[in-house]
Formats: sequence, structure tokens, C-alpha cells
Amino acid sequence: MSPPTPPIAVRASGVDMFFGTPDNQVVALKQADFEARRGELIMLVGPSGCGKTTLLSVIAGTLTPQAGSVEVFGQRLDGLGQEELTSFRRKNLGFVFQSFNLIPTLSVIENVMVPLLIQGRPYDEAHARAGAIIEKVGLKGREEGRPNALSGGQQQRVAIARALVHEPPLLICDEPTSALDKDTGAQIMQMVRDLSRSPERCVVVVTHDHRIFRFADRIAEMEDGRISRVVDDPKLLETAHL
Amino acid sequence: MYRLALNMLFGDRAKLAMLLCGLAFSALLMAQQSSVFFGIMSWTYTPMVNIRAQVWVSDPMVEQVNDAKPLRDTDLSRVRSVDGVAWVAPLHTSFVQARMQDGNFKLITLVGIDADTFAGAPALLTQGRIEDLRLPDTVIVDEWGASLMGRMGVGPDGKPRSTPLKVGDTFEINDIQARIVGICKVKRAFTGGPFVYTTYDRAKGYTLGARRTLSFMLVEPQKGVTPTELCGRIERDTGLKAWTSDTVIWNWGERSLARNTFWWFWTNTGIPFSFGTAVLLGLFVGIAISGQTFYSFVLENLKYFAAIKAMGAGMGVIARMLFVQAFTAGLIGFGLGAGMAQGIGRAMIEKGMPPFVMYPQILWATFVLVLGISFVSAIIGIIKVSRVDAASVFRG
Repeated sequence: MSPPTPPIAVRASGVDMFFGTPDNQVVALKQADFEARRGELIMLVGPSGCGKTTLLSVIAGTLTPQAGSVEVFGQRLDGLGQEELTSFRRKNLGFVFQSFNLIPTLSVIENVMVPLLIQGRPYDEAHARAGAIIEKVGLKGREEGRPNALSGGQQQRVAIARALVHEPPLLICDEPTSALDKDTGAQIMQMVRDLSRSPERCVVVVTHDHRIFRFADRIAEMEDGRISRVVDDPKLLETAHL
Repeated sequence: MYRLALNMLFGDRAKLAMLLCGLAFSALLMAQQSSVFFGIMSWTYTPMVNIRAQVWVSDPMVEQVNDAKPLRDTDLSRVRSVDGVAWVAPLHTSFVQARMQDGNFKLITLVGIDADTFAGAPALLTQGRIEDLRLPDTVIVDEWGASLMGRMGVGPDGKPRSTPLKVGDTFEINDIQARIVGICKVKRAFTGGPFVYTTYDRAKGYTLGARRTLSFMLVEPQKGVTPTELCGRIERDTGLKAWTSDTVIWNWGERSLARNTFWWFWTNTGIPFSFGTAVLLGLFVGIAISGQTFYSFVLENLKYFAAIKAMGAGMGVIARMLFVQAFTAGLIGFGLGAGMAQGIGRAMIEKGMPPFVMYPQILWATFVLVLGISFVSAIIGIIKVSRVDAASVFRG
């Protein structure tokens, strides 16, 4: 008997997203359907311009689609106002960006504290929690240094620490390994996998990097603004070059 | 978040230095120029400070203290008869040419005071005695004037002298000898000429040809009568104009001759326009430099602000962060600028030129204007950040 299928964490149904004017319209998403389950790491892959980043933005609540519905951990995002979306992101999302987006004038630990301070946590509590997670990502002793003094891999570790410090149920990773070499990229993905693996958490990774496909539980391939297929065969994932 | 906002600000030292330079320069320009302006304007009513009396009486057409319209000597008796007057003393003020030993002429402010009471005499003599003014052909010269006129004198060796005039030195007014019997310390005047004190009767002699020589009357109210009250009585009974001697700039009453003098210069000269332009320039320079530098700071951090927005910070939090950054820079910039203005002011006061009066109100006004510059800078930054799409963080 196979284990029960985990509940849905993210569901996007019939999502349309257009940019530009009616005369010069660019279709980014067209009736896109997407599902991610709790406890899984799912990758969104596809050629440039297929709509990966747009779908990620819609799931993250930073873009509001023109049509369709988006539900994240039981919360419908379509129809929410900007303030409600902001509040939703603050409580439920962690971000790992392609270019790290670490604030260069702040120390490593201050960068990691940002999500907690945005939530209104006291400075001392934020400091303690940030210190603990920095230790987890293997950067103990570098807390007071500036991000620019770290290597690309170390900076991405700081970004992962920042994304997870407030324990969000949904972790959004946008090309997390594109600025890293093969080995560092693999280390980072291993870390994302290890630290984010939880039955209550879902990780969505947008990537072009086929070298990290093996870290995915499932891979959703996009084409022309919609999901064209989903691969969940472990054997296929091991060797996937979609 | 505010602590992080400050760390972001202090972390970019080059930008911070530029921002502080703009704000400090602006504060310096506004505070220093305003202080020089009020210093110069305080010189306009210098006679009110140097010649002390509770009530001044003048011709009704007089608008300001430097523009005396002579009265008849009989007016002294008319004022004396007003109920509430303790005593009245005549005062002569005029601008006359003094001829120095080297043949040069110097425009002086001649002050003739009552020889019996010495009402209106300088408060502080650094050399000589006031009583010696009763001796023939005697005058008292102010310290700065003695220094100025000394350079126009001739030494015992017949060569130009470089030392100030002193007791015993002489010069001429209208071909009449003036022998110095005292050096006094008084405030310098807008007209720039030295103050030369003598007796009222001798002043008449120095200004030969003038039919009327009574410029003002100095009046002391009787005990229990206020200067304002007495002014009203004098005006009612004599038809002359009576003024209080209030020179505290922020307490001027309606009857203040100093206030009328101040406003006369305000409305009839280009001084306010000139200094006002400098102050406005300081304000605009501050807005331009600080606004642009702060905007550039925001632009450089735009993607981080976008990331913070994506992470769930509302515009309210980001706006407050920007206000904290802008106002902190404003406070430091104001401190630096006001400090420099104070330093320059002290040097000016020691040198005596140009006049410098930094009222607390000037500092408060500068403070408010610098915070205004910071506010404008923050608003420019907030508008920029508010237009940034949080989704832009996913675009590399």
C-alpha cells in the first residue's frame, strides 16, 4: 500500500497573466495550472520567457493575475489587497534570490535578521535566532562580517539562512545556483533540501540548472505560459536533462 | 528595522559624507547669513543701545533713530510739564565731518548730551572721566573710532601713526578743536562712523549754522509710571512723538523706536532681499545636494528595498526607515552646520566685523528648515521606492 499523498500546499488554477497594453500584449501565463504538495521540493523549469518567474511571482503574491485562482496553504491570494498580500508574504514566505540581494552595508547577521524585524520581533530575539541559523548554514564566526567579504556560495548560504530564519511554510527560490559553480551549487541545493525538508513546508525552485534537478521531488516543465508536463519518476529525475 | 535603517545609512560612508556636507553647508549658510543679517540690522538702532533712556521724544515725522528732525529747545519745557515726567534731557545727534591731523576727513556721529545730568552718556569708559566733558573743547571718542581715527593721525615724529587715539589727542570739527578726554566702549553703528560724545551746548557750537539742534529729548518717567503710559501722555499733551527704548528684538512694543528703525531699514533698503536670497540659496543648495544624494542612496539600495518589500515589509515600514535615515542625516548635518556657524560667529565677534547676532530663534528656524530638507529628501526616496514592484526582485 502506497503512503497517502501529502496535502496540497500551493495550487494555481487557470491563471492568466498579461503584460503591456491591449495593442501590444505579451502573454506570460495562459490558463496555467500548478500544484505543489507539502513536504516536497518542486522545481519549475523551462526555456527563457516561458513564464517561470511570472508564475513564481504569482505564487509569491508579488503579482496579481488577471484571471484564475491561487491558493497557498489554504489561503486564496486572488482578491487580496496589497496590504493583505504583504502581510501574507511576511508570515508565510521565505525567499532565496538569484543575485542573493544581501544588503552590503549590513553585517551578515543583520541581513539574516531582516525577516524577523519586518515581523516586528524584538531586536535581541531576532539577533539570537539569526545567530542560531547562521551556525546551521556553517557560517559561525562570520556573523559580523559584511556579505561582500564572503564567497558566492557563502553569500547564498546567508540568503538561505535569511529565507528560513522566520520558519516560513513556503520557500521560494529563484535560480539559487545560477551564480555558483557546480560543486557549490550542489552544496547549496543539498542545504536547501536538508534545512527545508519538513512535512509542513513546501519549496518551489525556479531553475535553468539541470545539474540540480536530482534534488527535486518533482519537476514541472513550463512552455508558452503553462505547465506542459510534470516529472516525478525518481529514475528520470536522477538523469534529467529536460 | 530602524536600527538596520541607520546601519544602512552609516554603512555607506561616501554617500553619508556627501549628504552631511550638503546639509551642513546649507545649515551653515542659513544660520550664518541670518545671524549676519540680524547683526547688521541690530546696528541700525545702535543709538538706542548706546544712549540709554527710558523714553525718547522726537518730532512727529521721525521714522527712525538715524533720521532726526530737529525740535525747538522750548519743546523741552513742554515735555517737562507733562504729568509723570521725572526729568527731561536734550540730545543732539548729527553726522559731521571731523578733520584729522593728516588733513583727512572722517564722518562721525556727534552726540551732544546734557552737561548737568550726563543723561545719555556712554556706560563704560576705558580711559578718562565723564566729568571732564565739562572742560572746554572736550569730547569722548568710542574705542573703535579711536582706533580708526588714530590711523589718520600724525605721530610726534611727523609720520603717520598706527596707534589708536588716546586721552589728550586732538582733531577738529568745523574748525573747532576737539580734545579727547575719554575713550568709551559702545556698540558700533550701521552708518560706520565713530561715536563722538560732547555736551549738548558744545555740539551746537560744532554744528554752526543749524537753527535747531535738539534732535531728541531723553525722558525719565516718575516712579510708578510706565514708559508706555508716559509716551501716551506726552503725545497727547504736546503733539510730539514719544518712543520707548525697548531694543529686545523679540519683545518690541508698538512704541519702540528700535522696531520702527528696524522696519524702516527692512522696507527701504535691499538688505533683507540680499540676505534673504543667501538664506534661500542655502535652502535650495541643501535641497539640491541632499535631495540628490539621498535619492542616489535610495537608487543604489532600490533592489534591497524591493527585496524587503517582497519579504513582507509594507510601504509604511519602508517610509519610516527612509524618514529615520533622512532625519538622522538632517540632525547631524544641522549640528555640524550650526557648530561651524557658531565658530565663524565667534571669530567675527572677536574681530568686530561683520556684525553677528545668532538668536536662538535663528537656530530653531535653521533646524526646522534642515529637517524640511530632510523631509523633502525622504519623500523623494519614498516616492521612488513606492513605485518599485516587489516582483522586480525575481528579474535578476
